[in-house]
Order: sequence, then structure tokens, then C-alpha cells
Amino acid sequence: MNTVISTIVIVASLLLMLASLIVAIRNRPMGMVLLVGFAVLEVAVLVQAGFVIAAVAGGQGPADKVTLFGYVGGQVVIPPAGVFLALAERSRWGAAILVVAGFAIAVMTGRMLQIWAGGA
Amino acid sequence: MTASISTGPGRALIAVYGLFSLAAGARAAVQIASKFDQAPLAYSLSALAAAVYIALTVALWRGARLLALVGLGIELAGVLIIGTLSVLDPAAFPDETVWSAYGKGYVFIPLVLPVVGLYWVLRHKR
Repeated sequence: MNTVISTIVIVASLLLMLASLIVAIRNRPMGMVLLVGFAVLEVAVLVQAGFVIAAVAGGQGPADKVTLFGYVGGQVVIPPAGVFLALAERSRWGAAILVVAGFAIAVMTGRMLQIWAGGA
Repeated sequence: MTASISTGPGRALIAVYGLFSLAAGARAAVQIASKFDQAPLAYSLSALAAAVYIALTVALWRGARLLALVGLGIELAGVLIIGTLSVLDPAAFPDETVWSAYGKGYVFIPLVLPVVGLYWVLRHKR
């Protein structure tokens, strides 16, 4: 698995989580910064998914490919779903939703790296 | 204003429950499809947990107060009962479910979530 793109995804998602938390604490709805940020995160997640699919197609990867692709698929869905909910909820709770989304992407990428390395 | 449980903080709850539906549902699907005979009890409970999370996501989304309360009750009972059983009799749970050891694998969020949910729904009388 490409660790550079995974590092980018983890760092970006944690930064966006922090930014969303600040926005929520300041009692503001999701703004343009978070909207663009999560769009960029989605692109990074898609690039990562491409690397995973390419590596698996090239014969690499863990025995448990079903779980791996479960995480890949889940990750691709989360940023758009989070933004969709945050657009519907124009309050601090919309930003709170993005805190959850950012955290989920970071954790899921970490789990993917573990699965790839053959860990539990 | 029955729809009020689905806005504000309720919408954040929907996001969390949606995420857990995805996590628990995907985990249960993988477990049941690939190795159901290894731990039928644990994997059946995984599926039950997933079903409860999905029902709660829908109930909160639709503002269905009664369904939400029933689901939250089952969720709280489930995490307490299965959490306790998995600690007392680990042999019966050879593989993880979302509710094993009170949701330890999910930083205990499954234990906190029904309490937060019940507080949120009960705060809205009517």
C-alpha cells in the first residue's frame, strides 16, 4: 500500500477534524473552507483507493481482501455523506458531523494500513 | 414538532449512527459470508447490532420517536448484556462483535451512544 498517500489522507483528515471542531466550538455552520477541504479529502481518498486497487490487481495485499475493500468503499462514501448532512444542518451541529467524518477517515485509513501489514 | 429530534444535535446523532450502521453492517456481512460456522452466536449478534443501528439511523432521520426509543433500549440492553457476557465467558465469543467488552474495539462509543441518544430523544416530550 502506498504509505505516502495514506499519510496525506490521515494528516488531512485529522486537520479537517480539528478545523471542524473549532468551527463547531465557535458556534458556526460549515463554511467554504471546510467544504473545499472535504472535497480535497475526497480526492485524496479516491487516489488512495486507486493505489489499493492497483496494488491488489498487481498481486500484492493481505489475504483478507473483502475487509480491505470494505474499508476502501466506506471511505469513499463518508466525505460526501458528511458534507451532505452538514449542508442540511446549517448550525454548529453540521460542523460537528464533519468532526465525526474526519475522525472516521483517519481511523479507517489506520485500520487499512494494519490490515495491509497483516495485523489484526 | 415530532420532526425536531432529526435536526440540530439530532442530525449529528444521525451521522454517528449512520457510520456505525456502515461499520457494523459491513463487519457482520463479512463475518457471515466468509466464516459463519466458526462463531455463529457472535456473528448473529453482529448482525443484530447492525440491524439495530440501521433502524436507529432511519428512526432518527424520520423523526420516529417511538421506534427510536425502542431501538435505543435494545441497543443499551444489548451492549450491557453482550458486554458482560463477553467478559464473563470469552470462550462463547471467539471473535469480536461491536458490543464485545462494552464496545472496547470502538473506544466504548457503543456504550455511550445509547445514553446520549436516550437523553436526546427523551428531552423532546410530545
